[in-house]
Amino acid sequence: MSTPPLLELRALAKSFGGARALRGVDFDLREGEVHALLGENGAGKSTLIKIVTGAHQPDRGTIKVAGQIVAGLSPATARQLGIACIYQQPALFPDLTVAENIALRLEPAAALRRVDWSARRERVRGLLDRIGAVISPEAEVRTLSMPEQQLVEIACALGAGARIVIMDEPTASLTQKEQHLLFAVVRELRKSGVGVIYISHRLEEIFALADRVTVLRDGESVGTNEVSELNEAALIRMMVGRELTQIYPPSESAPGNVVLALRNVGCRTSGVQGVTFDVRAGEIFGLAGLVGAGRTELARILFGITPADTGEITLNGERVVLHSPQDAIARGIAYVPEDRRRHGVVLDLPIAHNMTMAIHPGFFPATWLRLSAERGLALDFIRDLAIKCSGPEAPGGSLSGGNQQKVSLARWLATKPKLLILDEPTQGVDVGAKGEIHKIIRRLAKEGLAVLLISSDLPEALGMSDRIGVMRGSTIAAILPGGSDAHTVMAAALGSEKGAAA
Amino acid sequence: MSRYFREISVAAALALVLVGLALFARAFYQPQPLLTLVTSQVAPTLVIACGMTLVIICRQIDISVGSSFAICGVCGALLLKQGFPIGLALPASVLLGAAFGALNGALVAGLGLPSIVVTLATMVTWREALRWLRQGVYVNIGTENQWFGLSQRAGQWTIIIVAVGLMIGLAVVMKHLAAGRFVYAVGTDAEAARLAGIRPRLVTFLCFVLIGALTGLAAMMSAVQSPQVDPTAGVGLELRTIAAVVVGGVSISGGRGNLWGVLAGLLLLSSINPALTYLGVSAFWEKAIQGTIILLAVVADGLRSRKRAN
Amino acid sequence: MNSDKHGLKKLLFRHETLLLLVLVGEWLFFYFRGTTTNFSGVTVGFGTAGAQIDILRHSCEIGLLALVMTPVILTGGIDLSVGSLMGLSAVVFGKLWRDAGVPIPAAITATLALGALAGGLNATLITALRLPPLIVTLGTFSLFRGLAEALTRGADTFTGFPASFQAIGQNNWFGLPAQLLVFVLVAAAIWLLVHRTTLGRSFRAIGYASEGARYAGLPVGRRLATVYILAGLGASLAGLIFTARLNQAGANTGTGYELFAITAVVLGGTSIFGGSGSVHGTLLGWAAVAVLSDSLPYVDWPREVGGMLTGLLLIVALSAGVLPKFLSAWRARRHSSRSVNPQPTPSP
Repeated sequence: MSTPPLLELRALAKSFGGARALRGVDFDLREGEVHALLGENGAGKSTLIKIVTGAHQPDRGTIKVAGQIVAGLSPATARQLGIACIYQQPALFPDLTVAENIALRLEPAAALRRVDWSARRERVRGLLDRIGAVISPEAEVRTLSMPEQQLVEIACALGAGARIVIMDEPTASLTQKEQHLLFAVVRELRKSGVGVIYISHRLEEIFALADRVTVLRDGESVGTNEVSELNEAALIRMMVGRELTQIYPPSESAPGNVVLALRNVGCRTSGVQGVTFDVRAGEIFGLAGLVGAGRTELARILFGITPADTGEITLNGERVVLHSPQDAIARGIAYVPEDRRRHGVVLDLPIAHNMTMAIHPGFFPATWLRLSAERGLALDFIRDLAIKCSGPEAPGGSLSGGNQQKVSLARWLATKPKLLILDEPTQGVDVGAKGEIHKIIRRLAKEGLAVLLISSDLPEALGMSDRIGVMRGSTIAAILPGGSDAHTVMAAALGSEKGAAA
Repeated sequence: MSRYFREISVAAALALVLVGLALFARAFYQPQPLLTLVTSQVAPTLVIACGMTLVIICRQIDISVGSSFAICGVCGALLLKQGFPIGLALPASVLLGAAFGALNGALVAGLGLPSIVVTLATMVTWREALRWLRQGVYVNIGTENQWFGLSQRAGQWTIIIVAVGLMIGLAVVMKHLAAGRFVYAVGTDAEAARLAGIRPRLVTFLCFVLIGALTGLAAMMSAVQSPQVDPTAGVGLELRTIAAVVVGGVSISGGRGNLWGVLAGLLLLSSINPALTYLGVSAFWEKAIQGTIILLAVVADGLRSRKRAN
Repeated sequence: MNSDKHGLKKLLFRHETLLLLVLVGEWLFFYFRGTTTNFSGVTVGFGTAGAQIDILRHSCEIGLLALVMTPVILTGGIDLSVGSLMGLSAVVFGKLWRDAGVPIPAAITATLALGALAGGLNATLITALRLPPLIVTLGTFSLFRGLAEALTRGADTFTGFPASFQAIGQNNWFGLPAQLLVFVLVAAAIWLLVHRTTLGRSFRAIGYASEGARYAGLPVGRRLATVYILAGLGASLAGLIFTARLNQAGANTGTGYELFAITAVVLGGTSIFGGSGSVHGTLLGWAAVAVLSDSLPYVDWPREVGGMLTGLLLIVALSAGVLPKFLSAWRARRHSSRSVNPQPTPSP
């Protein structure tokens, strides 16, 4: 090793509250290589990236850039050290032109500097030419397509003289042709000695592009290998090789009639297309897939937030059109959303108010509040779901995450639904409450409810579901029987041909 | 071309009104009344509108300008009356305005309070304080201080040249200095701006200081136009300014617009009143028409951004 | 968000408790400074029942605006047009009665309908086009006042209303100002609406997070329309009462009243960002504003000081609302910048 690696991370650790996102990760990036970073949702990839770009400070560990130890990395120093990150959703200013955006990124420090537009334009054009992008420097960023915006980001990084370029799922929203253009750009970068950290869920891209690959699992690096020494099966094994640490309550219900039937359902605004499956009464249908695979988008279609524009949705044998959440609730659909703080529980309001929020028209005739009836309902749910709180009057914000989730669940059970959609019901919930929520879900299924369970926690999806639909690229990639192994599900979610065939 | 569609359409509307006036109300184009109109109505408002443009691009608003305008005018006039030279009264007025702006800026950028309510409160506080202290008495600065001690013609041209020069200078800053781009960036997305190494709070604060200072300048430009300084000047000024800015294509949700559009918007609105008079419509409709134009401009922007979203 | 918010400490430091203390302090100040005994031994000034009734009479209009402003601010919106709408209502009412010869009851009904219509205009622009309430109502603020000025050509005022109409604004019923009865009825209705119906619940949920309210199946657009229409109705009613009290309707009726109303609401503990607040808080805030702005003549201070102090009070109340959060964020930032370890452990 004559020259030190561009970037060297040693024993990096980071916790958020009680959750340990990284527990001692080693990683290095050499000059002129593409180093892929692979891992399940929540394996710690984004935390790692945020530390390298200076957005988060590590709790422990060292960061060396070009052999020099760097302490207290901030976004500004990271940029000075030549670290640039290209996000999936480019963080550009939509109202400014391409040239202005790039100018703003390149020299933001000197407020009174004159911006020489003709020189700037030439330079920007040069940068765009270098990556083979046909974009006018005068175009407003708002008018560009997503991949074009990514190219602008890459041009920014190049213009800033970046030596370390991080690409976070850059191809997630690109067409085949755009992908090839991007690959050419990445190879160009590699040739000029830039180190690229490439994050992607698409195995074929990793094999096509990367020199080495590091797999993260549960905040630890499982290993770093030359790509040429690996095959798909080995990679998937590295990603999912986890013991089942939790016991899931066994299935006790026999599926009944079909409650929800989807035939070729799609929605242009959210990109979901061609979704077909059934969910039966008493059945827990798991929806697995990687972040961005379109699971939440599908749930939003079923709940009328972004109405479907193709295909048909049948509920209890009756064809329905769902235009708004009110429509969905009226037809017996309930949706416990993923983002509890923004969509689930009003933290300022007492939990009793939160629980009746979705049943206003039915529970309170003529809009008049029946406070004692409401209190009774809240007390029932507090007992049934074992919610730990000081009483129905306690504000939602005073509860722990798990108990807030139960309040959110209670709100939807109060609507007496036929179909319950749970979106990441145990995310950010401690282990004890997680087990309780699992038991509640089982009990609801046993009582004849059809449950659609969206979970990024693979063991949870496997352990709880009677059947699993795997989503990839905004559609259903495979429907697997309950009891499938993690390897098969992950292979389907990643789109590995070998895995899908299995 | 499409990028400046909004500015061009305002300019076209202005041209239409001007041509209409040329055809049906030739009297509008008499040089001296026109010069007086521009000096007394357009120039001071343009100076404040420059500041308001920055504040609104920064996704804030300042409705206290009318009150600080009145206070700065009266304080500057009192200094002149005491025998201080204009060379001292003018900077004093600008500094006082900047101090008012700094207070607004500190409350908005520092504490994170909504600018509309903060400036609503300061607007009333300053206005009532002035009424209490001065009881509506005019300040006599004497004819020797009128027009900065110049001849009327020279004074009028000075005011117009200063206002237009300031506007062009600021337009150049907004376009060609990185600082101008910072304001757009903060108004578009404060968080993204922070990640790009800009300090959004500082930028917001400075925008408020700037509008305050410009208000102080405008107050003096207006005060020296007559020997008696009116302490109730500036009532409704905030609306005239905001209307000009919004009509000129600056998006109320921040990040969009430029000063050339604002100039066109201001000229358009300023020509409404004379147009009404010359066309025989009561001038009392001015405020209602102003309100309608603000609403139309906002609705147009709303429809445009909705179409874009789809 | 933690448990020490409950209990005794919470009761003591509740916004309402503090506000009540401020109010009592204000009242006592004016009582001792503003009440005197004249030569014949009769008590005059602030401390007399007559003065108290006068203050109540004068402040009913602002109180009405504050009441209808409360739901608006609860949803996270604002309505700057209420003062102007008061003016437009007064002028339209005067014109209907004097120039069009419409009988008083019909004119009142028409004026209230106009208020609802004007509120509906705000509501349509805000909900259907998703425009920011601030700029929409700033536009209608100008529009409504401008229409009032245009209708009166700036100078025309209406007066000489029949005694039966003036009674609403000038007579006493059961020893209390007649408009106070209207005010109490409206206050009770708004209190019930906000605290005892599902609508009030929706307002808070929308103000807390309007997207979240949509996820809970609440009809966000319709609820928002309700609050702005209500605000329009309240403003019209205030305009009518103002006209009856002064027996005069002019285009400048209610100028600057929106500020007093917003001040009363924010002072009453309703968050300007929406989501939390109460009608009884607004009533206390209104009382504090009313005493401050209408009692100054009793201590020989000019009326302008009232307006000035109200503005200052609003700034102080707003700052007090965010200061704890600001300070804790500031402290946390200082703490974290100190605790970051600048010396990394040397790599092996």
